Amino acid sequence: MSISKTDTTGAQTVAPATIASVRGLKVHFRSKAGRVHAVDGVDFDVRDGETLGLVGETGCGKSVTGRAFLRLLPVPPGILAGGSVMFRPQTSCGGCGGEGCAQCGGSGRRPTPCPTCRGQGCPDCQGTGAETLDLLKVSDKQMRGIRGDRIAMIFQDPGKALNPTLTIGEQLGEVFLQHRSVDLLEEAGIDSGESGFQAGALRRLAGQRDRRTDRMAAALWPPLRRRAQSVRQALDNRIAAALGETQIPNPRNIMRSYPHELSGGMRQRVMIAQALACDPDLIIADEPTTALDVTVQARILDLIGQLQAKRGSSVIYISHDLSVVRRICDRVAVMYAGRVVEIGETDQIFNDPRHPYTKGLLAAVPTTRTPRGKLAAIPGSVPELVDPKPSCRFADRCAQVHAACTASDPILSAVNPGHDVACFLEHPTSPKTEAAE
Amino acid sequence: MQLRDYIIRRLIALPILLLGVSIIVFSLTRIAGSPVGVYLSHEMSPEEVLQIEQRYNLDKPLPVQYAYWLRGVTQGDFGWSGVASAPVAEVFPAKFAATMELSVAAAVVAVALGLWLGTYAGVRRNKMPDHITRIVAVSGASLPLFWFGIVLLIVFWANLGWFPVGRSTNDIWESIAHPTGFYTLDAILAGSWTALMDALWHLVLPSITLGFGAVAIIARMMRSSLIEELQQDYVDAARAKGLPERLVLKRHARRNALVPTVTVIGLTIAFLMQGAIAAEIIFRWPGLGRWMASAVVRGDQATIMTYVLFTSVLFLVANLVVDIIYAKLDPRVRLGD
Amino acid sequence: MANTNIEGAPIRRRQDSALRVRLRRGGELLGLILSNPTTVFGLILIFGMLGMALFAPWLTQANTPDPYQMPRDWGALRMPPGTPGHPLGTTNTGGDVLYGVIWGSRTSLQLSIVVVGVTVVIGTAIGSIAGMVGGKVDEILMRIVDVFLSIPELIFALAIAAILGPSFTNIILSLCLVFWVKYARIMRAQIILVKQNDYVDAARVIGDSRLNIYFRDILPNAATPLVVQATLDMGAIVLIGATLSFIGLSESGIAEWGVLVSEGQAGIASGRWWASTFPGLMIFLWALAFNLLGDGLRDALDPRTESRR
Repeated sequence: MSISKTDTTGAQTVAPATIASVRGLKVHFRSKAGRVHAVDGVDFDVRDGETLGLVGETGCGKSVTGRAFLRLLPVPPGILAGGSVMFRPQTSCGGCGGEGCAQCGGSGRRPTPCPTCRGQGCPDCQGTGAETLDLLKVSDKQMRGIRGDRIAMIFQDPGKALNPTLTIGEQLGEVFLQHRSVDLLEEAGIDSGESGFQAGALRRLAGQRDRRTDRMAAALWPPLRRRAQSVRQALDNRIAAALGETQIPNPRNIMRSYPHELSGGMRQRVMIAQALACDPDLIIADEPTTALDVTVQARILDLIGQLQAKRGSSVIYISHDLSVVRRICDRVAVMYAGRVVEIGETDQIFNDPRHPYTKGLLAAVPTTRTPRGKLAAIPGSVPELVDPKPSCRFADRCAQVHAACTASDPILSAVNPGHDVACFLEHPTSPKTEAAE
Repeated sequence: MQLRDYIIRRLIALPILLLGVSIIVFSLTRIAGSPVGVYLSHEMSPEEVLQIEQRYNLDKPLPVQYAYWLRGVTQGDFGWSGVASAPVAEVFPAKFAATMELSVAAAVVAVALGLWLGTYAGVRRNKMPDHITRIVAVSGASLPLFWFGIVLLIVFWANLGWFPVGRSTNDIWESIAHPTGFYTLDAILAGSWTALMDALWHLVLPSITLGFGAVAIIARMMRSSLIEELQQDYVDAARAKGLPERLVLKRHARRNALVPTVTVIGLTIAFLMQGAIAAEIIFRWPGLGRWMASAVVRGDQATIMTYVLFTSVLFLVANLVVDIIYAKLDPRVRLGD
Repeated sequence: MANTNIEGAPIRRRQDSALRVRLRRGGELLGLILSNPTTVFGLILIFGMLGMALFAPWLTQANTPDPYQMPRDWGALRMPPGTPGHPLGTTNTGGDVLYGVIWGSRTSLQLSIVVVGVTVVIGTAIGSIAGMVGGKVDEILMRIVDVFLSIPELIFALAIAAILGPSFTNIILSLCLVFWVKYARIMRAQIILVKQNDYVDAARVIGDSRLNIYFRDILPNAATPLVVQATLDMGAIVLIGATLSFIGLSESGIAEWGVLVSEGQAGIASGRWWASTFPGLMIFLWALAFNLLGDGLRDALDPRTESRR
């Protein structure tokens, strides 16, 4: 029996509550040389309201893991080869209306009750009583409902992730139209009980399900046009508010400009506004500051931190920049060659690294004590991930490699409470099996 | 640069380019010999020939001749067409209408089918429909248009007898008035169902012949630019917002993929003008192309000059329109760089 | 070199390895080209047709005195395919269709090689001058190019060929006059692009002569799109040349595919489909082969394809 902290079979006792847990996630890619095991059995939990750092070198699978939450795999077809991504969507706390009270632990959110057992605890929700969805198995329609609403993503390069041919307002508006059309109609004073062509057309227009006849009617028929315009007004208000929240000056002007007319920092603020538009429970931030100037980075990081704290959302922060991760993350998972090799509190990882790879990674970061010209580097390079044999992925580059390392896979096991490592040096007697499913 | 300024600048450049074109073509025609031949007959004496040369200023030096020719053109006098035995300007409108009718039909078919096919294939990359589209596209670009038309004729006219050649059935043509010269429009204006069907029936084979190559070009471009667009981050970002695939494709991928495709559509104007010559010969279509073909074989200089100038105007204007659409579709485009 | 000096040795070694790199690259490129089945199909077609052109005198009895004139068998007019001695049938005037198909490949090869060869050389020269010299020279040359580009290719060639008088040689000449423009434009754009690279600056800093820089650093790096375009044009020129012949700008009676299609056209109303069909098919296959090869080359030479896989 594994004593891993990330094991949830014990159900309700897991504290603090986890919003998402990844188990044995495998993503493969087909290439000419064979199957590339880009993500090969990843396990970790994301706790409510925390910032989890996902660090590792380029190609270690951290981005692919992040994208798996939204089931967005790159175009050369990635295959979800196994595992699960369990996600517990949340709703605004009924006790305080999102203000934060004792009932919800001050976050203003609480898990959505499981629809099968109404919060009593059943196999569907793994006994937690909270609605639990396997993001790899839900229907496409359900997935679309989650994307942008419950889970949002901030992309690495806002210059590429914003469509150059649409205005900022058009792009930001899509999120509201997709997920908040009911609210928009309400704000525009359209009664939800109303029926007939006008109401139907307005509903279709607000939900981006408009037909050509609806658009023509809205353009030509004055009464409908007036009401469509009031929906438009409500939408514009929301867009401006969302932009304003990210401290963009003059949001009503920015709305009408195109991405190429903004600076990199501004674009990333737009991306953040877009991601946070629907108060998501979980935000996947994929190296959100890498493409930015160093001077802008700090401000963007602060902004993400502020908005996250205000909403009580959880963040998965994907990065290769250890100094940033140390600054903003509560916990850190270190990934190497498609596996999590070490996971723990930020302090534990940075002050007491156990895995030789983590140690090497930290040694490679220059500090004030590093002598000039003496930057440490880990010898060798990331192994080919084509049809890997069962062995520690780091064995080829590890200075402390021994017989067990090349014979089987080490699995994540606790070295301290909340601190797990997958290394035979820490667990000489560790069971020689595949990582726990 | 502002779009308006750009258009103005291009409109100024247009006549200058045309002047260049006319100088090249004019010099070429005069290298080949004096056009006096079209005015002569066997019974004329050398004195009479000289008189005619003087009357048409053909005894003057070349630049002066060019100046006279240019003055004629600006006044609508394009010379005498030996092939049509009439002034070029007089024959031109009817032939122009015939060619335009054919070209527009072909263009509509080509653009609609090309965009649809390119999208269909691009979305299903490396699957069966994509492979088939690629084969169609590559063969379309390699197919000699004149031969394709003949094969269609062999099958559908000579053997099956489903479609006619020519532009109209004579009795039906004569039964209605022709105010526009566009047979289909005239038929609609006259309210004659028979005439409209006759017009469309005659259009089928030639417009397929003429449009097929353009379908290939457009589909190929649409496919490759759609594939490129679908790999962009903002397409993934649109999916991450929760947009349905239909909107992701329509609003984010397709629209942007149209930007480079529009350029290619502009180029197909030239393609259609070129193809019209062969298509009109094969289907005995009484348009500019067939006129040009006979003019070319018989050395009818005035007709050749007019035709070359006309296609250049069309081509340059089409390119200008394409640039404007391009700028409208992609706000990043800074024209004139 | 017997007494290698200290400076010479590393330079020699560097050049050696550069050569080896180039050879290995060439092998990789060939592998990449051959890994694409459609490109291989194009290559096979090309070799087939080149073989046909090469062995034409052995495949058929060459007509005397001029083998490029269609032989006339006045005893066998309008014979269908399968007739003894005329496996693909005969034309209205007793020309053997098979003879035309085979000798037509020679005519097409001549046409495409002469036109592509001449226009690539002229285009490269003019484009290079414009790109390298720049300034006023560039301005003037490009304005001339603009004028040429204002007329659709085929119509321009048609007008020139018409004015020169109908003959196959004049078709070649007119295509040469029209097609150089495209290459000049590509070459100029490429040179301006390549000139911005650091290694060109580096060569300039070292003090290499302009001509040296051009031939060693710029031309080889700028030539790639030109190679692709030339390959595609090997097909396109036969297509356009045949169209001009079809319209009637060649001498009648020569063994040229476009002429044969045109002459066969008269018979289709009476059901004689073969005289047009076979020569036209050859034009199609010829253009198809070079289009496939050109596409394959473009994919193999385009550095972006690597990441797209």
